[in-house]
Amino acid sequence: MRILILSIALLLIVGTISAQSTGLEPGNKSPEIKLPTIKGDTVALSSLKGKLVLIDFWGTWCAPCVAEQAELARLYNKYKHSIFTNGKGFEIYGVSLDAKKTNWENFITTNKINWVQVSDLKFWRSPVAKTYNIEALPFNILMDGNGIIVAMNLHGADLERSIAKFLRK
Amino acid sequence: MKTKILIFLFLAITTSVFASCQSSSQGQNDPWTPQQLLAPADLAKVLNDPKAPQPTIYSIGMQAIIKGSIDIGPAMNTENMNTLKEKLNKLPKNTQIVVYCGCCPFSRCPNVRPAMELLKNMQFTNYKLLNLPQNVKVDWIDKDYPMNE
Repeated sequence: MRILILSIALLLIVGTISAQSTGLEPGNKSPEIKLPTIKGDTVALSSLKGKLVLIDFWGTWCAPCVAEQAELARLYNKYKHSIFTNGKGFEIYGVSLDAKKTNWENFITTNKINWVQVSDLKFWRSPVAKTYNIEALPFNILMDGNGIIVAMNLHGADLERSIAKFLRK
Repeated sequence: MKTKILIFLFLAITTSVFASCQSSSQGQNDPWTPQQLLAPADLAKVLNDPKAPQPTIYSIGMQAIIKGSIDIGPAMNTENMNTLKEKLNKLPKNTQIVVYCGCCPFSRCPNVRPAMELLKNMQFTNYKLLNLPQNVKVDWIDKDYPMNE
């Protein structure tokens, strides 16, 4: 009986540990993403190592995502050269769940979006939607210079507060 | 007499309040009835059964993800609406038709309303809207329902 209880307890502990190390939550590593830009060259999320990075999951078909791009542009221009306690500089890694390249490209060109933009143009079938357990757009992740998740799905004033919190005084 | 009037007034007010609450929870003036919403599980069952009569399925959103569905493109664009109209013109009015978008919840989707309105106006008698409350990922892909290659 004692052995049974012990083994159940052990199973529970192991289960919790493994869930923690792979789970998508603050304190864990953000899974790698390697997707093409509009020009066709691949940019890996890990290549932004050292910077504070906002991964922005969006799509031109998603009205609230489109509405948020102006605010992201403001944050990008304000903080891109800032020094943070957990990263040097701020970058945005935009992952679009668009299906058609023309829609994606036109939006980026028209709105002069100048941060990293990648997409596999697979809409909701994109493997990153699965990796990141995305259930609705917009969705974002803030990660530090070591690729560790520090905040999830913050928007508006909450997002800026979360970025500014890491500014080196 | 006075009490009778008071009771009548009370009943009238509560009924109207109740009625207004009900209409707002029903999705206002959506061009479909609750009976026209098709559960994803039901469509998946039909698609997985080769003996079942297969409906004509139109993707009126970004991508034709569901198995056998025909890619029309977002119904919010006039061009795509014309494509859909042309295809529908060739079909008998009692054809079993299913439309879906799946980008977002219905409240935010710009495509489901124009397509459902068109089917209504063209007087089709057997058409349904696939009920994807969240999106085509959560309510279809994640459930491993059949997809186009």
